[in-house]
Amino acid sequence: MSDSTATVAAPAAFAVSKKRLRLLGLTLDDAIKAFFGGNALVSVVVLALITIFLFREGFGFFAQNRQNLRIYRQAGLEYVDFIRAQTDDHTALTRYLSDLRVRQIAFLQQEKKLSLADANAALAAFDAFADQFGSAIDPLRAIVSDLTEQATAIKTKFIVAGDKEEERRQLLAVGKTAEAAAVKIDAVNFSAELKPLLETRTAYLAANRELAQKLAAALDAAPKMPAPEIEARLDRFKDLSRTYIAGFPAIEKNLMTWDYTKPVPAAQSFTAFVFGREWLTASFWQDWYGVIPLLVGSVLVSFVALLIAVPFGVGAAVYVNQIASATEQKFIKPCIEFISAIPSVVLGFFGIAILGQTLRAVSQQSWLSWVPGFPYSERLNVLTAGCLLALLAVPTIFTLAEDALNNVPRAFKEASFALGASRLQTIVKIIVPASLSGIISAVLLGLGRVIGETMVVLLCAGNRIAIPDFSAGLGVITQPVHTMTGIIAQEMGEVVRGSIHYRALFVVGLLLFFLSLLINYAAQGIVRRYRISIG
Amino acid sequence: MSATAHIFQSQPNAARRFERATFWLFRGATYLVLLCGLAVFGTIVVKGAGALVQPKAPFINTAFFTDAPESLYVFEFEGKKFAQGDREHRAFVAEHPAAAKAKTESYVYSAGGIFPCIVGTVLLVVGSMTIALTLGVCAAIYLNEYARDGAFIRFVRLAILNLAGVPSIVFGLFGFGMFVIFFGWNVSLIAGWFTLAFMVLPVVITASEESLKAVPMGFRAGSLALGATKWQTIRTNVLPYALPGILTSSILGIARVAGETAPIMFTAAYVVRDKLPWDVTKISDFFFQGVMALPYHIYVVSSKIPQNEYTERVQYGTAFVFLLVVALIATSSILLRNKLRSRYKW
Repeated sequence: MSDSTATVAAPAAFAVSKKRLRLLGLTLDDAIKAFFGGNALVSVVVLALITIFLFREGFGFFAQNRQNLRIYRQAGLEYVDFIRAQTDDHTALTRYLSDLRVRQIAFLQQEKKLSLADANAALAAFDAFADQFGSAIDPLRAIVSDLTEQATAIKTKFIVAGDKEEERRQLLAVGKTAEAAAVKIDAVNFSAELKPLLETRTAYLAANRELAQKLAAALDAAPKMPAPEIEARLDRFKDLSRTYIAGFPAIEKNLMTWDYTKPVPAAQSFTAFVFGREWLTASFWQDWYGVIPLLVGSVLVSFVALLIAVPFGVGAAVYVNQIASATEQKFIKPCIEFISAIPSVVLGFFGIAILGQTLRAVSQQSWLSWVPGFPYSERLNVLTAGCLLALLAVPTIFTLAEDALNNVPRAFKEASFALGASRLQTIVKIIVPASLSGIISAVLLGLGRVIGETMVVLLCAGNRIAIPDFSAGLGVITQPVHTMTGIIAQEMGEVVRGSIHYRALFVVGLLLFFLSLLINYAAQGIVRRYRISIG
Repeated sequence: MSATAHIFQSQPNAARRFERATFWLFRGATYLVLLCGLAVFGTIVVKGAGALVQPKAPFINTAFFTDAPESLYVFEFEGKKFAQGDREHRAFVAEHPAAAKAKTESYVYSAGGIFPCIVGTVLLVVGSMTIALTLGVCAAIYLNEYARDGAFIRFVRLAILNLAGVPSIVFGLFGFGMFVIFFGWNVSLIAGWFTLAFMVLPVVITASEESLKAVPMGFRAGSLALGATKWQTIRTNVLPYALPGILTSSILGIARVAGETAPIMFTAAYVVRDKLPWDVTKISDFFFQGVMALPYHIYVVSSKIPQNEYTERVQYGTAFVFLLVVALIATSSILLRNKLRSRYKW
């Protein structure tokens, strides 16, 4: 006891001393721990790699798209498209007129009991009017088709020059200086090339004035319609046409002030992608990479799928967790798990082979014609894909929602019963509200599953790249669409590596990636934030 | 039993009727979902089995499992209708030269079998699950045995959760960008393995962690108290008891790997390939070759060829075989899990 300080100064050696193997200064145990820790890091690394490689392949898109938009302006394609838009609007108006004619024929045949020949004869005045209206655009059409050729020629010249430049660069890169010097590059002088294009302005102005006069004259001489209902439509047509004519000065102004040297801002290559309403590739005129049609398609399909899947998924979860007997639970749960194991490509095949026809046949039943969008003729559309995706989402929503319901403490339920509430009251007022955050996050994760699903939408959504016609109301769900996942799967195999189209697909993938992260984040956030304190 | 109502017997009233009706609504929703699943499963089984079963012995069309896909030729010759595979058709034409002039319709991939696809799928599953299990189990051991709660671990868990939500097509793009292009592996088995392995990694990690958690703390404490090191404890007292659980839960991961099409579309799958995978000159070529795969084959035959009585056989047949494989995996996982649950009770 007295010399305790001495023992502290010189600690006694252990009876058993063990020499430890050291690797890089780590004991074996530390090394093993580090090894396992490294494996745990893999998922972080993979996430980072996904981000890096999507960016690496996709980021060049914005520069290339800017170049794409610049050439659109410099080669005069933009100029021509102003006039083309004018002729396209006119085409839409003539389509309205032919629709009017169909209605008149139907009216004359059904109400006035005229034969088809008589009905056609009765419409002679209308036909003359429609013809006068329709042919007024012809001079303008001729101008457009001339200009189209000129602008395409300029663009081709520019592309050839670009290819030559690339060739020279590649030759230089491998050290063939002589060959590189021999490559002749015709630099495109845009101002000279565009001169003939711009010289058509006077001709255009004259043609435009004439068009406005002719249309106005035709409208004033419009014949009377056989029925007030159709007369109202003609009035609507007249209004539309007058607005159309009133828009001419703005178009003229656009053309007069158009300047090919106006720079394309860098942000425009981004906005043209995010807000672009057209996804048009491999076209002879101009390629557009606008994500809106694809995004709308994805969202629409997911919306339909969730609309079906949420009631069924949550309903089944409530049933299994709260109402069903133990034997039923033991039977239903594995069955639903089993449904989740059906591969999506098999579901897609089922949609193509069976569900598409079946739904179309159902839609063509006469007693169902009150349903918006029914009957329809496109076998593969939003509805077909949505129904199948719903079957994919139900197991996800069911499993997670059932978990959430399961986590509600027994005491809640017992307290509710003790107060005299019935089972239904307990479920609706106690159990479901208590697990609501979990249920919402289940629905969100179901959304993530649905929006990222590829094969079903690729096979069953119809693959038409256009924004569906929302004026059809709810009937919009019977139209074919294309989706973000579908377009990647469909076009990735065919594009040239490094081309703008290739990079655009990567940018779509990047968008999809961040969308899924956002949904995931929201789901976790809701669980964390709104979990009521249980216990 | 007399019909005298005793005083606590529940009385029928409007609220009770409403409750019962609501419960029936829930019940209906649940069984409708099951019915839909059954409808999909049933149609493909019935039609697919019809394509695979034949009236004479051995009753099952074995050629469908052992042959490569061929084009189908349909033509009318001497008043009879023929539907022949590629080789058969060539032999027939050699025998009857006049048949070459008959009006012939051809359908690609509609004759023969799907043997290369089955082989490709098996190879893809085995390879990617080996990678995923190695990485996943090790990660789970770290998370469950070594890690202490902290910012780093929370970050890792967040990454795992988010990785689970990434769409499969994005994994396909990533695999294409990294393995196929950046590493220059081209469309190959190994690129597909890694892409699929990374895709199922979250499933495997979560499953493994759950199994590790189920091993009671006492096992570890006992081993440590006897002087074993951490690693010795894990090796002898934790892993052996967790491994069956890890393997069975990971079978669900196998179902996912076998079933996904999007990630292998541009990383590993060929539409058609004449050579079988082991038909290589160098060993290293084995890893750098593309393969045919069942899910991709289904995509091809359901989207690229028309649907009629001649092509139905290969379409439904392939879907049926594929569904059977996946269903077998899923069922065995569910059964095994239930069995294990009852066996290990600590």
